[in-house]
Amino acid sequence: MSVLLEVSGLSKRFGGLKAVTDVSFNVERGQIFSLIGPNGAGKTTVFNLISAVLKPTSGTVRFDGRDITGAPTHSLARLGIARTFQNLAVFKHESVVANLLVGMHTHLKSGPLSAMVFWGRTRSEELRARERIEKIIEFLEIEDIRDATVGTLSYGLQKRVELGRALAVDPKLLLLDEMVSGMNQEEREDIARFILDLKEQLGTTVMMVEHDMGIVMDISDHVCVMNHGVKIAEGTPAEVSANPAVVAAYLGTRREGVLA
Amino acid sequence: MRTGHYKETYGELIALSDSGVAWAWVAALAAALVLLPLLVGNYTLSLAVSVLIAIVGAIGLNLLTGTTGLISIGQSGFLAIGAYTNALLATDYGWPVWASLPAAGVLSGAISLLVGIPSLRLKGLYLAITTLAFSFIVNYVILYAEPLTHGPNGVFLNDTTFLGLDLSSDRGLYYFVLGVAVLVTLAALNLLRSRIGRAWLAIRDHDIAARAMGIDLVRYKLLAFAVSSFFVGIAGGLMSLQIRFINIDVFGFLLSIEALAIIILGGFGSIAGTILGAVFLTLLPEAIRIVLSLFVDPQAPAYTKYIYEIRGIAYGIVIVVFLRFKPDGLIGLWRDVRKYFANWPLAY
Repeated sequence: MSVLLEVSGLSKRFGGLKAVTDVSFNVERGQIFSLIGPNGAGKTTVFNLISAVLKPTSGTVRFDGRDITGAPTHSLARLGIARTFQNLAVFKHESVVANLLVGMHTHLKSGPLSAMVFWGRTRSEELRARERIEKIIEFLEIEDIRDATVGTLSYGLQKRVELGRALAVDPKLLLLDEMVSGMNQEEREDIARFILDLKEQLGTTVMMVEHDMGIVMDISDHVCVMNHGVKIAEGTPAEVSANPAVVAAYLGTRREGVLA
Repeated sequence: MRTGHYKETYGELIALSDSGVAWAWVAALAAALVLLPLLVGNYTLSLAVSVLIAIVGAIGLNLLTGTTGLISIGQSGFLAIGAYTNALLATDYGWPVWASLPAAGVLSGAISLLVGIPSLRLKGLYLAITTLAFSFIVNYVILYAEPLTHGPNGVFLNDTTFLGLDLSSDRGLYYFVLGVAVLVTLAALNLLRSRIGRAWLAIRDHDIAARAMGIDLVRYKLLAFAVSSFFVGIAGGLMSLQIRFINIDVFGFLLSIEALAIIILGGFGSIAGTILGAVFLTLLPEAIRIVLSLFVDPQAPAYTKYIYEIRGIAYGIVIVVFLRFKPDGLIGLWRDVRKYFANWPLAY
């Protein structure tokens, strides 16, 4: 396996606050990679640094052999990085199909003049886009809601639409920020199944920030643990959960002699 | 609700409308519009021209404000640029209308980039104020650049023709403006079902997510300004063809408010709504006049003297009532009615 995403020495300060300090890790192709840690550990900041929503104070991010540190946010989709957001970030006044089609943006080429005429190339590329969207709709099992306005759907379904929109980018690397938070057991299992199917069928590399230890331990190939902005452990789910530093970060350490 | 209706090709999924009934109504409307000059007098025809021009301008504004979510209250500035460009090129430089009208749109679109650039950092109220300031600057420049614009004297348009159509006659102008309005409507509908329209909607609903999907905000916001102002400039050019004599007083602040009232009344982001809004709002002062004439003598000085104020009050009431009770406008009302009849006699 080769390295798809290489994060080295990444740091981010907000004024005096060190949100992330010197974090390095590699994500390999075809891996399901989880970034975990207690609240405020800096996971989402790392995510925003990788997806270029924030610019790092220092450190580099390399994707597919290319340095993408400080690249414009909108250029990442073209390179093959798609993401979902921790809070719902769907286009809620639009239909499910329209939301998914926005994900296809970088795959379509028509300019304003040919779009106004909507004939020839524009029409044929819209047809191709619509056809591909149907495949994603089928994959995510949302056929019955394809024409619904996204804002009227349940939370779980809106998240699924957001996942679909990211898939429409046809990403090499899919970044999922707390995908299953606020979902019930059944919805969580659906999402876990979709992620595993993605890996099996399309070979998509998935990196997720997740609080739900059940899903992390069940489907991850590799886990990276952060606390207070620094990386404290890395390895397979089994290695990480046996690591004393990780246990301490989540459960606290016993202070000898307090109760005795 | 239509049932037993299955789409068999992807082409049907991206069509403007897949309903034969809808197309039949469009055909009936087209026939009625073509036959209109044979059935009504010149006064009604000139009202129809005003409605069509309002449609062109309001579609332009709706692409910017309704679709992309960039609020502009400086539309009178772009209308003025379009009107003056068309009028001056035709009168002082002898350009034919097929060249001067597109030039009006292009210049208006190009100048809009100047307002568009600050819009990249401004949102909501701040952007609205910027566009308002812009429209005042335009008015002052036109007023004081006298060698170029004739300043306070205004511009008279010569009689013009287009492909044998006499644009100084009511009928000729009507057909010309109808043609332009149809083209602009089709262009806007097509834009909205393409990647560009979707990018604009995405920016309006969630700009961070739009960026993550690969949409370059700078590019698409500027494009929204340029396309919108191109259409508004064309509408300005058409205004100059209709009123034949333009001076800066025509392009007051009330015109910007009228444009905003049209898209609020019609429904943000909807082309069909914009058309409904333009029809209703342009005919509103006329309706008020007719209603008032039932009660007071139409020649009474009170009415003619206060026509401008009455229009302003009417637009204000329309904006307040629709924002409060029907924010999705007439097109939302139409959808509700359609749903009601589809489900009747059940409530849902």
